[in-house]
Amino acid sequence: MLNLYADRGNVQTLLRRCEWRGLHAHVTPVRRHDEVRLRDYHLVLIGGGSDREQALVAEALRRRRREWKAAVEDGLPVLAVCGGYQLLGEYYQLPDGTKVPGLELLDLVTTAGRPRLIGNIAIESPEVGTVVGFENHGGRTVHRHAPLGTVLRGHGNNGRDGYEGVRYRNVVGTYIHGPLLPKNPRLADFLLSLAAAYAGVAVDFPPLDDELEWAAHRAFLTRHAGVRGPR
Amino acid sequence: MRLTGRRATSFPGLVALRLSPSLLGRLGRQLKKCIVVTGTNGKTTASRLLAAILAAQDPQEPPDAWIHNAEGANLAQGVVSALLEHTDWRGRLQWTRAVLEIDEATLPRVAHDLPVQWVVVTNVFRDQLDRYGELDTTVRKILEGIRDMQATVLLNADDPLSRYIGLTAGRPAVYYGMERGMAKPPERETMRDGTLCLRCGRPLRYEGFFYGQLGVYECPACGFARPSPDFMGEYDGASLRVTGGGAPARFQLPVRGVFNAYNALAAIAMARLQGVPDSAVEEALRRYRGPLGRMQVYGTDPASVLNLVKNPAGCDTVLETLCGEDVDKVLCIAINDLAADGRDVSWLWDADFERIPERGRAVLCVTTGLRAEDMALRLKYAGYPTGRLEVVPDPDAALDRSLEAARAHGVPVVHVLATYTALYPMAEALRRRAAAAEPAPARAAREGERP
Ligand SMILES: [Zn+2]
Repeated sequence: MLNLYADRGNVQTLLRRCEWRGLHAHVTPVRRHDEVRLRDYHLVLIGGGSDREQALVAEALRRRRREWKAAVEDGLPVLAVCGGYQLLGEYYQLPDGTKVPGLELLDLVTTAGRPRLIGNIAIESPEVGTVVGFENHGGRTVHRHAPLGTVLRGHGNNGRDGYEGVRYRNVVGTYIHGPLLPKNPRLADFLLSLAAAYAGVAVDFPPLDDELEWAAHRAFLTRHAGVRGPR
Repeated sequence: MRLTGRRATSFPGLVALRLSPSLLGRLGRQLKKCIVVTGTNGKTTASRLLAAILAAQDPQEPPDAWIHNAEGANLAQGVVSALLEHTDWRGRLQWTRAVLEIDEATLPRVAHDLPVQWVVVTNVFRDQLDRYGELDTTVRKILEGIRDMQATVLLNADDPLSRYIGLTAGRPAVYYGMERGMAKPPERETMRDGTLCLRCGRPLRYEGFFYGQLGVYECPACGFARPSPDFMGEYDGASLRVTGGGAPARFQLPVRGVFNAYNALAAIAMARLQGVPDSAVEEALRRYRGPLGRMQVYGTDPASVLNLVKNPAGCDTVLETLCGEDVDKVLCIAINDLAADGRDVSWLWDADFERIPERGRAVLCVTTGLRAEDMALRLKYAGYPTGRLEVVPDPDAALDRSLEAARAHGVPVVHVLATYTALYPMAEALRRRAAAAEPAPARAAREGERP
């Protein structure tokens, strides 16, 4: 597992859910100047920092753009959140019009906007059901791929089209944090199963005791979206 | 127009601001001396200590001769409230000196209205991201505020973000910091905000850490580095030795922990800059009573200790202190996500709750509040056994459950952690239970617990 500035909660969720099933996972945190060989990894997490940090990360990653593109086309599972999500696209346009180039892995662009889109968000995903969390982004993102889901409550990609996130091959991009994975165990296991398949490891994912996870998920849905949660 | 009752601290000001937006300026202009305390963590404690010290200078004056805003009332309307309390019916201020705690995001909005001579910045940590957008915004807000003032800035030398403010604000800066011998290597590899150089973006190199991102740092690429402090502190767990701005002196502190030693150091440094004699500092420290949620001990059965938690750095210092106590304990953690708490609870995952299963000696953790389930999940993923984890969303019931479990296990203390909006109800609930517990055997336990 490769960790580029990802939320600690997401990394921890994936690690624990492997551990509880007796699987071994190794995490490599990456700093800006570290050299990374993508083919050594089965899952990549990209988080985001401030605009400034994000521009620095983008600049460093772009030098290996072709390697990234090949890996993603080959099915490398990627979870990109917030700034990391924006980074997957062509560019991020700052308020002054400057375009910070992204990794150009997806047909996706982001433009800074006002006000920031902030608040609790719930979406419905065809692959993993409801996904809940918090969003806080100035950027408005549009893309030509499938979304991760449709917005039940909140703003989503751009506050206009009712979609949130992106799905392309084994890439999942989203603005949802809070962090994303602890309260959304189906999505966490979905990513792990993608990683296992990509690694060529034949493992099944026996269900875990997710009582607390679903309690948090359900509490969120009833309180914020007026939707009754799964189970 | 003065409301009574502790929790109405911001209210008269809010009404006044609505009636007359220029009121802050009209009142503020009358101040002859104005010291502002801002920063992410510790501004309440630092400003209260400073106000107490300044007031102790002249025993002839009443204790409120320095205007000071009440705890948490650190937005524009809170400042107006504080000034209005000392205004006569003709709109004239009775006292013309003020120590004001001001929220970072509010600083630029009040900069023009107050004749600020000194600004104290405690530190800049990741705090309530949903209110400010992101970390860089906090730095920017403070810079914006300071640039609009004709003030000298007192900054934390050990905090790289504060150092950046000092270098770029274009105002004279004075620094305080801890003795470098106190710095220790990091316990665990954690990503901290501010570990990238704000000038050139390279990772900073640390010789050692005091806590959080505070340490002895330098950028190997551009030469950005910790300045040598004008006021140097040396903290031994109970007292603080201060060098600079006068003869070296040792002060007994009324507050605990390294983070509070920084708050005391900032206050003492500012007091020395104002020419306050050490004897007044000592006197004020001796009489000081801390604000709510900073390790208050309640005589419940068994004793309980109340702490405010609101962001990773502050929470870590609390966890460090309570895990350092080598006794069994019950934890009751109340997490709300209302506007004053920060609506995004992501920060729970950046705080080091791993300490609790590692060496917290918690026989039971009860989570409560609007985000009780999120907190329970955080503890589960920190490695805390789910069999000893209980979700009780109602705070009163959670407290009863915690005390009852502590009695059943024969555990001497319940540590209550609460976010801002959960703090007052918890304090009230604890006070009631403490009153009910007197004169039960709890008394002995409480006396034993008192710091
Ligand atoms: Zn540098």
